[in-house]
Amino acid sequence: MLRVEHLSKVYPNGTQALTDVSFQVEDGEFLAVIGLSGSGKSTLLRCINRLIEPTSGKVIWNGQDVTALPASQMRQVRRQIGMVFQQFNLVKRSSVLTNVLSGRLGYVSPYTSLFNYFSASDHQRAMDNLAQLGLADKAHVRADSLSGGQQQRVGIARALMQEPKLILADEPVASLDPVLAHSILKYLEQMNKERKITVLCSLHFLDLVHRYATRAIALKDGKLVFEGLPNEIDDAQFKAIYGQEAERVSIV
Amino acid sequence: MTPSSQTHNPLLAAFLSFLIPGAGQVYLRERSRGLAILVTTLSCGAVIYWAQDNFRFAVNTNTAILLWTLFGAFAFWNIVDAYRRARHQTGGNLIGLLLPTAIIYIVAWQITDIRLERLITRFSYAVKIWNDIIHPDLFFQDAAGNWQPSENFGYIFGTLGPETLAQIGAFSVPVYHAGKIVETIALGLMATLLSTLLAVPLSFVAAHNIISRVRGGTVIYYAIRTLLNIIRAVDTLIWGVIVVVWVGLGPFAGVLALTIHSVAALGKLFSEEVEHIDPGPIEAITATGANLVQTIRYAVIPQIIPSFLAFTLLRWDINMRSATIVGMVAGGGIGFYIVETLRKSAYPQYAAALWAIAIVIMIVDFVSARWRARIMSGDTQIKIGTPKPFYTSLRAWLYIILGLLAFVYCWQLSGIDFRKMFDPGPNFLALIRGFLSFNLDPDVTDEITRAMMQTIFQALLATTLGAIVAIPFSFLAARNLTGRSRLSIWIYYLTRTLFNVLRSIEALLYVAIFFYWVSFGDFAGMLALAVTTFALIGKLFSEAIENIDTGPLEAIQATGATRLQAIVYGILPQIIPPFISYAIYQWDINVRMATVVGFAGGGGIGLLLYTKYFPFMSYRSAGTAVALIVIVVALMDFASAKIREKMV
Repeated sequence: MLRVEHLSKVYPNGTQALTDVSFQVEDGEFLAVIGLSGSGKSTLLRCINRLIEPTSGKVIWNGQDVTALPASQMRQVRRQIGMVFQQFNLVKRSSVLTNVLSGRLGYVSPYTSLFNYFSASDHQRAMDNLAQLGLADKAHVRADSLSGGQQQRVGIARALMQEPKLILADEPVASLDPVLAHSILKYLEQMNKERKITVLCSLHFLDLVHRYATRAIALKDGKLVFEGLPNEIDDAQFKAIYGQEAERVSIV
Repeated sequence: MTPSSQTHNPLLAAFLSFLIPGAGQVYLRERSRGLAILVTTLSCGAVIYWAQDNFRFAVNTNTAILLWTLFGAFAFWNIVDAYRRARHQTGGNLIGLLLPTAIIYIVAWQITDIRLERLITRFSYAVKIWNDIIHPDLFFQDAAGNWQPSENFGYIFGTLGPETLAQIGAFSVPVYHAGKIVETIALGLMATLLSTLLAVPLSFVAAHNIISRVRGGTVIYYAIRTLLNIIRAVDTLIWGVIVVVWVGLGPFAGVLALTIHSVAALGKLFSEEVEHIDPGPIEAITATGANLVQTIRYAVIPQIIPSFLAFTLLRWDINMRSATIVGMVAGGGIGFYIVETLRKSAYPQYAAALWAIAIVIMIVDFVSARWRARIMSGDTQIKIGTPKPFYTSLRAWLYIILGLLAFVYCWQLSGIDFRKMFDPGPNFLALIRGFLSFNLDPDVTDEITRAMMQTIFQALLATTLGAIVAIPFSFLAARNLTGRSRLSIWIYYLTRTLFNVLRSIEALLYVAIFFYWVSFGDFAGMLALAVTTFALIGKLFSEAIENIDTGPLEAIQATGATRLQAIVYGILPQIIPPFISYAIYQWDINVRMATVVGFAGGGGIGLLLYTKYFPFMSYRSAGTAVALIVIVVALMDFASAKIREKMV
């Protein structure tokens, strides 16, 4: 269970990215985080695994206060939390397999991993994950030779290598075509249902939220403005989140 | 309300500018113009005064009157300018630029002892040395009329036998005694290898995005960057003079000098590359729970390998060029051999060495450029299928064995002996002590500033001369402008070859030729710098012309403009900014080079260091001079980068 309590973040340049955000995520949920660009979604996700240090507030993950942990123990927490990125963040020049295997870095010995050594079981796990994402034949191809949708599936495979209990997905489909967006979200949904991985996913399009999320929260200017079921977002709520001029658009 | 629509009193503006140059312009709210005028006035006045004070023999009464008249004209222009601008009249900028330029060039001309007439009056010397250059001592005709390699050829390229290395049946393999040019190649290779090995780890510590993840990293970052900048500002040859005191004359001193300078240069390039990588993968790898070392290994290293390789190849090229001259002060390699030929006035032998250098450096230049192009374009190669481990490939083993053999051979040839570093020469301690305590005695600082100013002006004149001569040639060497006739294609290749041959020889090696011709140190150094400038800038200019966008040219021709109009409106606006930016860049390079042309008798601060401070162990004065070089080179570097940034 993940609990975020009174989380605030002020960047060194004075930008107030998050203001007193509190919410709770039960195990097995698919929680969508919605809001405009710049509303603080990315900051919120990165404060949970402390890629960004929150200014104040707490993040409590399975009873442990993540924000209070020293760097050495962060490694144990981070490896339970997978992350998927808008720009995929693959190492473009490395092979797909190496990219996927790098998801094990939090588990393996820091020394042997320096020589690109991973155990046979890690290799097997990587191939299994790639197979499940339909990329078994691409293992030895350079990452930048794949299409965007394929690269994002590699990104998911890398996160799965961590055997995560939670996946943070930061706009995972914002750089992809609508058709591919569904394919990627279906994979996330599959992992959520089959492997019981909690998913925290920031999304732009409301109909994707309706289709995949079990619950949603909304941020506006760094503040939590909505928390509830996706179908509770009515027109009034919508205008409150996205502003008066916004109109609903849908993607296929 | 814009500043220009406000009403200002023209007479008041003129009066203010009369009192303080630029003040009227500031009153008209043109602050940067006013400031520029004030700074120009002050620096021109200071330069004239300083030149008069320090170079009484060079700046005679007539010259002084001319200089102060120009200065007065500039002050008057500033008053007129304030008056005119208050009345919203524009223009007149050209005069304001020309007057200070004229002052600077006249001063430069006088204090670097330019004696153009000597090029003519001593022309017979030029003919003599030209004859030696085109008849290098490499081959001779024996009694039977067959061409044979001369003894000098053996010194440079190496000799075989008479001992045998191995006997294979009836065939005996003779022992190869390496020549000086082979030793030079070994120096360049070893220095590149050593400096790369040192610069790679250093670059992570000097990259802000990596080191700032460690506590106190920012402090480490600034300390290391400053240190690298200081080391880099000191030319390889100056390091050579210092290193000789440390480990003694010999090839190892050469390797060490080359390595020290190139660690700093590579460290800077590498760390900037590390700073410009895509931060996304770092974020992703950190999120998996990887530690700092793992993050570097999996997110940083794969991204930087190609550019590191490319920079190493570029550095190899530069090191090979420096290796040809480092021996002049540090011993080892062809540079040492050249010093000997010059001491004996053996010009045919000297010419042979120059040709050998030209051949080797042109090959290195070509190979390095080809490999770099291949590395940078190989970005999207796709590997299909499971890659075989490298150790199963026969070719890989062959390369490894060949590489190891080459390494061992170069190691021996360049006499690397790290123990010498821990057993420094008798004067090394005195040198360190001297460098740590500056000599600020007014006589010494005067002498150093004088030499430094000469160096800067020498570089300025060389850049101007080289660039002006290069302009017409660069048009001949631009493929898109030369026609399709056979003649113009010949001209194209000839010009390109001329650039490449001249470019392959360091300015320092040209000094001897010009010293023989004009016999004046500063002038000879300036001409030597001008020759390399001509070749380097000619190449850059012609590439700039080749890279112009033909769209505007087409559009202007479509308006019915003549060919000349099309050039003036379609081509010139495109090439003037890169031309100026290259010229400024070249001035920056030339100041560095000018600090060492004195090592071959080319005047300036190098002459002071090499013939006065180091031989007489005035290490405190030497340290002060080196410190001034560091400051000037760093300032030039900074200013030229800033100006070029604005130009583009």
